[in-house]
Formats: sequence, structure tokens, C-alpha cells
Amino acid sequence: MESTLQATIDRRIAVINPIKEELIKRLNLPYKPEDLHEDISLFGAGLGLDSLDALEVVLCIENCFKIKIPDNDPSILRSINTLADYVLAQKDIQKGTQ
Amino acid sequence: MRKIPLANFLSEKGVELGERCGVEIPLKFKDIKDEYQIIRDNVGITDFSYMQKYRIPAETGLDFLDSIFVGNVAKIRFCRVLHTFLADDQGNIIADCYIANNDEDYIVFCESIVDDKNLDQIFEKNGSKEAGLENITDSHVVISIDGVKAWAVVKEIFGSDVLGLPYLSIETYPFEGNDISLFRAGKTSEFGYLVMASKENADQLMKKLLAQAQKHGGGLCGCRVHDELRLEGRFFNIFAEGLEVKDPLVLGLQWMIDFDKDSFIGRDAILSRRKHGLKNKIIGIRADSSSGICVGDDIYIQGEKISVVKASCFSNILKSYLGLALFPIEVAYAGLEFNLKSSQGPKVQSISMPPIVPKSLNVKLDEL
Repeated sequence: MESTLQATIDRRIAVINPIKEELIKRLNLPYKPEDLHEDISLFGAGLGLDSLDALEVVLCIENCFKIKIPDNDPSILRSINTLADYVLAQKDIQKGTQ
Repeated sequence: MRKIPLANFLSEKGVELGERCGVEIPLKFKDIKDEYQIIRDNVGITDFSYMQKYRIPAETGLDFLDSIFVGNVAKIRFCRVLHTFLADDQGNIIADCYIANNDEDYIVFCESIVDDKNLDQIFEKNGSKEAGLENITDSHVVISIDGVKAWAVVKEIFGSDVLGLPYLSIETYPFEGNDISLFRAGKTSEFGYLVMASKENADQLMKKLLAQAQKHGGGLCGCRVHDELRLEGRFFNIFAEGLEVKDPLVLGLQWMIDFDKDSFIGRDAILSRRKHGLKNKIIGIRADSSSGICVGDDIYIQGEKISVVKASCFSNILKSYLGLALFPIEVAYAGLEFNLKSSQGPKVQSISMPPIVPKSLNVKLDEL
């Protein structure tokens, strides 16, 4: 596989895997990390998390990546992939300002 | 082919009827784009009577349902609904189901890719007669109310307390001398409700729902637009990617399965595949509006064919084509670029799903 492609995949895996592991631990989910498709809806359909769980999801991201999630944008919390997109975008911003 | 009870009513309104898995369905009334806007901006009323419907006494039904469905039926609390599926002996999905704990009985809705007869045979083989499973498919209708204003329609007819119903719950309401069952459930990303009523009340209920929907700028919709809405919201669609792929693990449906349960149909096959790990996974793709995505299109990376499209639609919100494709696990990640149809074909990107932000996400029912 081309090195730039592999680097893009590795960068995403480095965000997705900690999110999955931390969510399973914090929310006591009865799954292995590989059971969690990155597109599963976190709230409502899918994992069916509630508003209390939402706080755990926010803390999970802050704990893993030291990145704050704004409380006025529920679209970030829709799936593991949307969380990962936000984390990666914030990392890009941080990198650009350093 | 099983006919739906409201076919005459829908025909008077100009429906185009079709068939899916041995059942008559309302395909569409007008332009799909108009029906799409009705649901995203207002409220759409769709006859979902194609669903197979069952009722079973709680006393005998719990063990029966828990022994066949992949989800944990014993954990469904009173007035709540479980979204799960039924697999065959090979562990492939055959029906996408809602199971509601309605106190004295359970109500089961199935969207099945096998016909009514085959589904009944599977239930009978597993003891449905002894457990008292009653098939109420022909005697009842199911009407779906979906859209950012769906809550307003059900509130007008059933009262303000419907606003307090959580997602995946059930409540019973009186209607024209009979009881009807209202599920808070849907697969459009907007507010959604499913109403089940007896065939005798079907016309009256449909007229009342439609009149209320029209007050809010809504109207009738067919089933075809729901295929687009489900894909945009990344809701599993058994009639699209489900029919094409069938393996629930590849489809990412592990969340519907209780892996700790001792028995369900297809358990050994599913657990064996889980143990050996996935080789493929279905993920979302997007192409700009100039290049369409069609089911069956090949996907290439660095000159090599690696994937095939399993579901597709044009997203009116995004003004681009969306799809789901089966990728080797090593490259099944969002944020990558591929070629469609040939190694030099148009670019497509793997994307995070769901890619849209529905209007309903910013409406708080408890603050209305």
C-alpha cells in the first residue's frame, strides 16, 4: 500500500481505537472494539445512549485527546466517525497554530 | 403477492404500487424529490403495511422470542421497543425487526427479505404455535409518520403526552372505539412514529393523519423515498444493503446482537465469524454530482479493484451521490480517496456517516 495512504489510515486508527476502548470502558458496553462499527449511531438508534451517557462521551474525548467538545453542536456526537473527524480537525488546527 | 388493505385509498390519491419481497408496496405518489422535501421540511405519511406484524402473550412469548431473535428480549422494559433482527441458520439476516413490550403481550414488526410464508415457517419450526404467536399481518395496518413536524400530527390526534414518548417506545391510545398502538420509531433521521390499527379503522386513521399532515404542509409518501432517507441517515436498510450483503457483522449490526445469549437462530455461525474476524466491512462513500454512484459499480484503489457498491442514492441535502460499499478491512476507513468504475474513473471518497444534520436534531420536544 502507498505510504501516504497508509499514513492517512494510521492517523485515523490512532483516534478511533482509543475512542472505542474508552467508550466500552466508561459506558460498560458489552462489545469488543472490533464489534463497534465507526458509523453506529451513538444516540437513539444504534447504541441507544442517553443524555447522561453524552457527558461520558464528551469526557472520553477530553480525556483521550485533551480536546474540548462544544456543547452547542450535537452533530459531533452522532457516531464514532463524526467524533474522530472532529478530533482530527482540531489536531490539524492545533498543529497549524504551533 | 400479499395486497395491502389501503391499496384502494392510496390508488385514489394517485399512488404507483409495486412489489417487494412478495408484498404490495406504495412506491411513490409524485416526484421522489418532492416526497423527500415533504419529510425533511414538514411531515410525510407512508403506508408501511408491507411489514409482517405479530402479537404474542408476554407469558409464553418471552422465551419464544428470546430464543429466536439475536437481541435480548428479556431486557425490554415495559413500554419500550427493541430494534433487532432475525437470522437464518447460516447467520445471515432475513428480517429487520422491532419488538415492543406492551405489558400483557409483545408486538413484533418485521421488514423481511423472505416472503410471509417463509417467515411463518421459520417461526413455526421454532415453536410459534405452542407459544401462541398470532399473525396479525392481514388484519392490521401500519402507517408511518415521519418528518421534522411529525410530532405535531400525532399530538393533534393522540394528545400532548405523545411528546414525552422516548425514541423506541410504545403506547396504546383509543381510536374510534378500538385501541391503536403508537411506536416512537423511525429511520429517516427526522421525528418518526409508527401507528398500528385494525383494518376496520385503517381508512379513518389514514384520512385523519393525512388531514393533519396537510395542515402542516405535509402529504402522502411512498416507500421508495425512505430508501434515500435511510441511506442519508445511515439507518440500516434490509431492502438495500441488507439484501445485497446479508452478513450482519459485515453490515455493522453487532449492536443489535446480544453475544452473551445462549440461543438465537444463527448463533453458532455468527459467533464463529466474529471469532475469526472480519475480512470486509461496509462503509459510506460520496461522489460529486457529476458522477453518479450505482449499485454494482466497482471501486479501485491504486489501479486495483477492491470494492463493489451495495447501496446508492442522490442526496438532496448534500447535492452529491452517496453509497455504501464493501471494502477490505485494511482500507475500510473514512477519509480515503478511490476511483469509481475503473482505475482511472471518477473520484469517490470514503466518508463518515451520517453525513447530514437533520432539522429534527435541533428540535427539543420537551421544550415545545
